[in-house]
Amino acid sequence: MSEPERNKEKRLDEKCMDEMTLLLYVERQLDRETAQGVSLHTQTCTRCLNLLRLLDRESRLLTRSMLEEDEALPARIAEFHERVKRNMQWIWGVVFGLAVLGVYALYTTYIEPWQNQLQQAGFGGSNLLSLVVFQGAFWKGWQSMITLFEALAVMIMAGFGIFAFRRYLRRGSAMAVLFASLGALLMVTTPAASATEFRKGDSITIPKGQVIKGDIFITGEHVRIEGEIDGDAYVFAQQLDMSGHISGDLIGFVQSERVSGTIDGNIRTASNNLTITGSVERNVLAWNQTFELDSSGKIGRSLTAGGQTLTVDGKVGRDFLAFSETTTISGLIGGSFKGHGKSLSIASGAQIDGKTEFEGQQVPEVSSEAKLASAPAFTKTERHAETRGSGYYVWRVIWTGAFLLFGLVLAGLMPKFAMETVESAGNLGASFGLGVLVFFGVLIGSIIACITVVGMLVGLSSVMLWLVMLFAAEVVVGGIVGQWIMGHASEFWPFFLRVVVGVVAVRIVTTIPFIGFWAGLAVAVWGMGAISLALYRRLQPTMAPNIPSVPMSPMNSPLPPQTTVGGI
Amino acid sequence: MSAPGKTEPTELIARARTGDTQAWGDLYREYAPAIFRFCRRAMPTREDAEDATMEIFMKLREKLVQYDPSRSFTAWLYKIAANHCWDMLRRKKARHDKDTEDIDDVALECPEPNQLEKLIEERTGEEVRKALDKLGLRARMALVMRYYSDMSYDEIADALGVRRQFVGVVLLRARHELRQALGESSALAVGGTR
Repeated sequence: MSEPERNKEKRLDEKCMDEMTLLLYVERQLDRETAQGVSLHTQTCTRCLNLLRLLDRESRLLTRSMLEEDEALPARIAEFHERVKRNMQWIWGVVFGLAVLGVYALYTTYIEPWQNQLQQAGFGGSNLLSLVVFQGAFWKGWQSMITLFEALAVMIMAGFGIFAFRRYLRRGSAMAVLFASLGALLMVTTPAASATEFRKGDSITIPKGQVIKGDIFITGEHVRIEGEIDGDAYVFAQQLDMSGHISGDLIGFVQSERVSGTIDGNIRTASNNLTITGSVERNVLAWNQTFELDSSGKIGRSLTAGGQTLTVDGKVGRDFLAFSETTTISGLIGGSFKGHGKSLSIASGAQIDGKTEFEGQQVPEVSSEAKLASAPAFTKTERHAETRGSGYYVWRVIWTGAFLLFGLVLAGLMPKFAMETVESAGNLGASFGLGVLVFFGVLIGSIIACITVVGMLVGLSSVMLWLVMLFAAEVVVGGIVGQWIMGHASEFWPFFLRVVVGVVAVRIVTTIPFIGFWAGLAVAVWGMGAISLALYRRLQPTMAPNIPSVPMSPMNSPLPPQTTVGGI
Repeated sequence: MSAPGKTEPTELIARARTGDTQAWGDLYREYAPAIFRFCRRAMPTREDAEDATMEIFMKLREKLVQYDPSRSFTAWLYKIAANHCWDMLRRKKARHDKDTEDIDDVALECPEPNQLEKLIEERTGEEVRKALDKLGLRARMALVMRYYSDMSYDEIADALGVRRQFVGVVLLRARHELRQALGESSALAVGGTR
């Protein structure tokens, strides 16, 4: 090409329209003036005219390609039918029946034996649930701890629940679950009790002579109670020395706890070590590494203790229920003794007025000078030797059914989320990594939330959520295992069939002795991670439309029909 | 679906609005294939398209009483379909890492006419449909709304949640993405000169 020709083309190029303008012209989106400018230009510019024609042809290619009937209407949507609603109707009867069975299994397997044991240990005929929750000190504590912050937390959680389930709110079942949850929360959030005192600091002392009217919450490193508390005391501390008088209960989360004073109510505590040299008029429920009831110590009613080492030199008015590696009794038990653990030693000064039962690895050492109402009944437990009769397998099957039921309900309520969760489980690395974090982190976080006064309700809710995730984990892992076995499925019932197959496979693996426990743990971590991953992905914010970088032409009104298109 | 220019079944629509289940069934059979095809073009998988079709008609059944008979039923239905599909796609986009919207930051170059012409001549409808799968969600949705259901720029802007002035940009970028997907190794989409 000669120099003059190149210059001519360059001059033409400088005036050429950009592709955006030409496209808007083809699409009839330019205002009249700009469109006329384009029209005039394309009468003299071959390049722009060509591009204009090509853009128009491209539009037609797109329309033709999209309108081509390449696929027939799938059979499953050939007729309109409200699939989910219609298909799920019959299942609720089955769901209800299985749910009753599951609750019965839970009750007879776990709750009833504990209830019986606690009743034997001096909790009288009180119902366990009402004892622990509604009549117990914890319930009073909850009442006292309802603050504005907790009410706000409940409202935030309710708002979050409505937001999370807004897509399903039309479904009656989701509404029922939501309202039931809100109802349950409302039951918990009863009006606040008044006259509650809060104290916080490195070292807190209630001096002798001082009287606290009402309940008190104390948070500190070193706490000394020498005075009188006319109510319940809630103590979260590193060290507690109680030498005063509490007319209500002592609820403690303390590393080192010593009670030398008088408590008219109960002690309910979790601590590293607890020593009682004083007097507790009612019951003691203690979970400690080391528990000691000194020879001068006295418990008016029952003692229920769990830990590594339990020593009872003092006097227990009623029953003693122990879960401990080593238990030593040299004091007086007014009722019966029932223990589980490695070893039991009943020393010479011991006196047990009721039955003595021990289930452990070693035969209890009983001093000939000990006074026992009856000969100790000993049941030897073989370590690592699990006795699995037919009942065990029957319950495994029932529990498998319960898991499947749980999965069915979850998948029925949230089908898309269920599939996303199973899909997330396929991402092994991320699921396990996140699972470890959630499995341990949420639990620890919940406990921390519980022991800080403001976060009790949030902490308990988190624990509940954690438990739901724990149970759902097996279903999620079952889902991905089922898909590995039978292939991928995106429709509800084929998807659920894979969940069934997978859950059964997982349950079989977790039933294997020794391996089963670790497999179960892995499944829990894996499944919880997958649920968390799916939640994380779902809660990611949607990206906002970006500002375009292409220069724009004004588009006030479409091209009038009479506008000529140069060359076309 | 009623083809462009074809008379809409106004009587059928009116009967369906009154709750006539027979009319509703007929209306579904009339429009379901086109809506499924729309969803098939817009959604990444066949299963998603099937689900979306059913959900759109469930939504339609609820909203049918709100339909203004003085307006085009087809256009109204497509608007519902587009909104629903885009809603589903946005949720998917939020969940998956695959997001191509950052292409907005890349300046576009004018294509070389000869190469563009070659591309248009050589590519079949099936190839174009396959190439759609490789596009970003917004680009794909914009093309389907514009070239399948013939939605206006205003309607597209409304469905995508962008300003009307950006619709042309979205479409142009979508075309560039499509050309790139169709050309694969060729330099069509980026190799042109002005």
